[in-house]
Amino acid sequence: MKRLLWCAVLLLILPLGACTQKEPALGKGKVQVVTTIFPLYDFARVVGGDRVEVVLLLPPGVEPHSFEPTPEDMVRISRAGLFVYTNPYMEPWVAGLLKGIDRQRLTVVDASAGVSYLPAAGEDNGHDVNEGGHHHGGMDPHVWLSIPNARKMVENIAAALGTKDPTNAAFYRQNAAVYEQKLTELDRKFQVGLGNCRTRRFLHGGHYAFGYLADHYGLQYVSAYAISADAEPRPRKLVEMIALMRSSGTRYIFYEELISPRVAETIARETGATLLRLNGVHNLSRDELQGGATYLSLMEQNLVNLRTGLQCR
Amino acid sequence: MTITEILSYGFIQRALVAGSLIAVLCAVLGVFLVLRRLSLIGDGLAHVTFGSVAIALFLRINPAVVTLAAIPLVLLSSFGILKLTDKARIYGDAAIGIVSSLGIACGVLLASVAGGFNIDLFSYLFGNILAIGTGDLLLALVLFAIVLLAVFFFYYDLVAITFDEELARSSGIHTKTINTVLVLLTALTVVLAMKLVGIMLISALLILPAVTALQVAASFRVTILVAAMLAVGSVVLGIFGSFILNLPTGASIVVVNFAVFMLVFSVNKLRQAR
Repeated sequence: MKRLLWCAVLLLILPLGACTQKEPALGKGKVQVVTTIFPLYDFARVVGGDRVEVVLLLPPGVEPHSFEPTPEDMVRISRAGLFVYTNPYMEPWVAGLLKGIDRQRLTVVDASAGVSYLPAAGEDNGHDVNEGGHHHGGMDPHVWLSIPNARKMVENIAAALGTKDPTNAAFYRQNAAVYEQKLTELDRKFQVGLGNCRTRRFLHGGHYAFGYLADHYGLQYVSAYAISADAEPRPRKLVEMIALMRSSGTRYIFYEELISPRVAETIARETGATLLRLNGVHNLSRDELQGGATYLSLMEQNLVNLRTGLQCR
Repeated sequence: MTITEILSYGFIQRALVAGSLIAVLCAVLGVFLVLRRLSLIGDGLAHVTFGSVAIALFLRINPAVVTLAAIPLVLLSSFGILKLTDKARIYGDAAIGIVSSLGIACGVLLASVAGGFNIDLFSYLFGNILAIGTGDLLLALVLFAIVLLAVFFFYYDLVAITFDEELARSSGIHTKTINTVLVLLTALTVVLAMKLVGIMLISALLILPAVTALQVAASFRVTILVAAMLAVGSVVLGIFGSFILNLPTGASIVVVNFAVFMLVFSVNKLRQAR
């Protein structure tokens, strides 16, 4: 139902939007870059600076797991020089889409090339493999939520830009190096900030998106939903989470961005826990995008909330 | 896990109570709607709420109250469905189709002008039976009282127009008023119950218990009673079943409803064959 509605919406909104909004005027000398989701958009604009023009394919507020491109998007992509997507597990529609596009001008970048993947189900928390859904088939797509992976993605984007536009390759490398330094600092902040906490387990009322983050900082992660974002929760899973919170005295439950925190609220009502937001940085709301939020700023917020939720000193 | 253990959880208690209340509502209204060829009104009105999302976007309404923005629009649309069937002499299914596609189209136009979204508003419009709050429970109770009182009050008129509108009109019943009452009650039920238990469940509960009851029952009164009991039974069975088998609850209730329908249908066929 919801999915159908969204498809209808996207099919109709995007062509309209493309007619009225900024049509990327094939700027002279600037590399045209189309990115799928927000982290890639953010990385590409940092690395490319004023020498590239970056377009975010997903409209703000749209839940990226259910996004499907329209014919107008195809035109936009075929005009671009570089198309950056997260990985085949996050955007399964990319392979089909590329068949219809003239590949000679367009360089397609799998931003996750070379990152270390985790399997789609976090086995250690009783997450059923068959819950994963066919969309992501096998691997957990949310790679950008581990900072070392994010660094690798920035490297990939810089390398691709350098190949596309060799005269500015040094510029891109320089920007990427500066940004990677910032990512390394953020990583260290996480390591230190989450080093001394009362609990190492965090519970989340959303879909299973934080496996990489949990793995990298040695945290235990339990989520109400599976990896696919639009499933229904099962009552037994909720009961398990409630029992876990009661037995361990956990006082906080996390909820995800963009969607109603209904499931997290149910668990909170049962246990008297406090709600905290943990942003999966898939896509931003219109206000956040206009307010200039970045991957770094959102991850900093996540650190603050994680430190509260895990009761770190 | 024992039944008492399952029942010790507040969210299961609320799911059972609110689910049963909504099940009765939908089943009772469903009998009238199915017989009047308006079975798909639940789905249709859910599409219409998309238009209300666009309004919420424009006015930057707090997502928690986006349902309030939906109510007037959905009431208006249900009235539109009625007018189309009445004035333009169109069958109910086509009228529902017209209004629901118009609802989506207007929503799309407005949303495109507004430019992007702040949150996934649909997640605020469509609830889940496992995530019902105490306030929601009160809402279900009030809705239950309003709708059942209205049906009780207009019962004979409703039955009369359901079977033969011409006859009802000639025997002095204000058919227009009664029709309006029925669709407005339905609209209110759909938009509020959808916030509690989600559209899939509402849509199923409006159709399946009524259709199953119509297979067996003799009188109208019995049909309504059977539909209500089947609906409540399926909700209770679905909730416990989903617990024991570790399955999503809403979908389980729908499947239970269909299984009951198939069972009743088969028994009926066997009996007729004999």
